[in-house]
Amino acid sequence: MLTTVVGNYPKIPNRPRPARLRAAIARFERGEIGEDELRGVEDEVTIEVIEEQVEAGIDIVTDGQIRWEDDQTYFARRMDGFTIDGLIRYFDTNTYYRQPAVTGAVQWREPVTVEDYRFAAAHSSQPVKAPVTGPYTLAALSTSEHYSSFGELVLALARELRQEVLALERAGAPIIQVNEPAILKRKEDFPLLHQALGEMMEGVTAEAHLYTWFGDIEGLFPQVLELPFSAIGLDFVMGPANYEVLRRGRFTKKLGLGIIDARNTKLETVEQIVDRIQRVSDAVAPESLYVNPSCGLEYLPREVAQAKLARMAEGVRRAQEVLR
Amino acid sequence: MTKGLLTTTVGSFPKPDYLTRARNQFSLGKIGREELAALERQATAEVIRLQEEIGLDILVHGEMERGDMVAYFAELLTESMAISGLVRSYGNRYYRKPIIIGKLRWQGPMTVEMWRYAQGLTDKPVKGMLTGPYTMVDWSFDEYYDSRREAVLDMAGVIHQEAMELEKAGARYIQVDEPAASTRPEEMALVSQGLAVVTEGLKAKTISHVCYGDFAKVFDQIVDLPVDQLDIEAANSDYDLLELFRRHPFDKEVALGVVDVHDHRLETVEEVKEGIRRGLEVLPLERLYIDPDCGLKTRTWEEAAAKLRVMVQAVREVKGELGLES
Repeated sequence: MLTTVVGNYPKIPNRPRPARLRAAIARFERGEIGEDELRGVEDEVTIEVIEEQVEAGIDIVTDGQIRWEDDQTYFARRMDGFTIDGLIRYFDTNTYYRQPAVTGAVQWREPVTVEDYRFAAAHSSQPVKAPVTGPYTLAALSTSEHYSSFGELVLALARELRQEVLALERAGAPIIQVNEPAILKRKEDFPLLHQALGEMMEGVTAEAHLYTWFGDIEGLFPQVLELPFSAIGLDFVMGPANYEVLRRGRFTKKLGLGIIDARNTKLETVEQIVDRIQRVSDAVAPESLYVNPSCGLEYLPREVAQAKLARMAEGVRRAQEVLR
Repeated sequence: MTKGLLTTTVGSFPKPDYLTRARNQFSLGKIGREELAALERQATAEVIRLQEEIGLDILVHGEMERGDMVAYFAELLTESMAISGLVRSYGNRYYRKPIIIGKLRWQGPMTVEMWRYAQGLTDKPVKGMLTGPYTMVDWSFDEYYDSRREAVLDMAGVIHQEAMELEKAGARYIQVDEPAASTRPEEMALVSQGLAVVTEGLKAKTISHVCYGDFAKVFDQIVDLPVDQLDIEAANSDYDLLELFRRHPFDKEVALGVVDVHDHRLETVEEVKEGIRRGLEVLPLERLYIDPDCGLKTRTWEEAAAKLRVMVQAVREVKGELGLES
C-alpha cells in the first residue's frame, strides 16, 4: 500500500514564510524580472514542495504542478491550434481558469512537461509521477470552432498528446498519470473516451494511471477496467457511490483511493482513514492500493495540505498494521 | 402616473485609490480601525453623491467596507467562523477562504451602521446588502457541520436576523445575493430553502442577484425563489434569458442587467436602449428595473460612472419615447 498525491500542490505558503512565487510572478508581469529569474523561483519552489511531500511521508510525489496555471492552459498554450479566452469556473469549484479555444488543427510541437519531470526527478528522493491532462477533459473544458464534432477534437488531441506520453516514457518517468475528471460529468461519452485513450496509449509500455475526481464511476463499471491503464484513481469524497460500485465485482486493476478531502480544511482522523481503507479491502488487495487525496491539493492552504498528507501517511501505516 | 423602469445597481462600486491604499496599510497594521473606518465613510459618501448626480432611483452604499462578500461577514461571525490561509482563485490571485468552525449564530448587527450612514446622506432609498446563506456556505470551508443542508439553514437564520435588523432600521429594499446558486443545479432546492428562511416575515422588498451559471437548467427554480425581485445579468449573454421569460411567464419583478461590467468597452446609448426595449417585450415596465450586469467593483471609478450615465440616459430616452415622465 503506497501513498501518493493526485497532482497539484499549493504554490505559496502562509506567513511567516514568504509567498515567493506570487511575488516573482507579479514582478515578472510588471517587467521587473526576466523569464530566467521567474524560472529560477519556480525551480526553488518545486524543490520545496517535493520536500514537503516527502517529509509528510508520500511514497510517490509529483512536482506539485508549480509551473501550471491550470490543467488546461499548461498544454493549450504549448500546442498549436489553441488561443486562450477569458476566465471560466473549473467544475463546481470557486477556482477559475482561462478557457482554451480551438481555432485550428491541434498539434503537439514539443514536449510540454518533460523538462519539468526531469527537474523534479533529479531533485526528489522518492519516485516522481508525471501528470498529463487527458484529451477528453482538455476538449470538454475548451471551446471549439475548428473541428466538425467534439469527438473529432477528442481523437485529434489523443493522437497529439500521445507524443507527450511517449516523450515522458523516453525520459524515464516511472508512472505517467492521465487525468480525465470531465468524463464523470458526461458518462454517455465513455465509448469516445475509450477509443481516444486507446489510441493515446497505443504502444506505451511505461506504467500508466488514469485519474478522475469530483464524482463517481456509477454506470462506468466494469467498463473502466477495459481502459489501458494499470491503475484507476477515484474520488471517494465527492463520489461516495464509488464504495458501492466496488462491491459489485472484482476490481482487476490497482486503485487510486482518494479518501482525504482535498477541498475542505477539516483534518481526517487516523481512525477515519483506516475505516475508509478497510471499506475497499474486500474489493482490492492492500498491495494494489495507492492512497491519495480526493483531487489536487491547491484548494487548500499550503500548511493544511501538508498536514493532511502527513495524517494520510499515518493512517496508511496504521491500516497496514490492522490489515496484516 | 405609471411608475416603471426604475434604475439601480447590483451593489459594489470601485474603491477609490486612497481607500485601497488604506486597506493595505490597515492589513499591515500601519493604520488603525478608526482611521480606516473614516475613509470608508468618506468613500461611501462619494458613492452616494455619484449615484445622485447620475440620477439613479434606488441607490446602494457601494460596499466600501467590504473586500470579499463572504469574508466580510465571516470576519464578523467570530464565534463560528475563522479565516484560512491563502488559496488560489485563478492566475496569480489568492484569497483567504473563510472556515465554519462552530455552530452559526448571529452575534450582532453587521451591516446596519453603514446602511444607516449611507441612507442618512440621501432621500432616495438605499438597498440593504447581504450575502445569501448558500453562497456564504459554498464559498467557505466547513469544519463543523456534517451536512451542507444544516450549515446553509443555520446560516440562513443568521442572515435572516441581519435582514430583520436592516428592516427595523428602515431599509425598504433588502438584497440577498446568491452568486453561487447556479453552480450546482442539483442544489437549487437548498438555495431556495435558505432564502425562504432569510426573507420570512420581511415587509421590505426582497431582491436576489444570481449570476455565473447555466440559467436554462435551473430556470424553473430560479423564478420560484422566495424573493420579490430577481436581479440578473443579460447584457453579457446577449439577452438569451429573455427568451426563457417569454416562454415561461412569471410574476416577479426583474432587474435586468443592460451593461456588461466585465468589459472595459463603454456601451452606446443606442445599444442599451435596444436591451431595455427587449426587456419591455417580455415584462411590463412596472415590473422591470434597469441596472448593470453585476457589481461594479472591477471597473475603474471613471468606467463605472460612464457606464451608469449611458444606462440612465438610455432609460430616459426610452421613457420619453413611451411618453413617460422621467
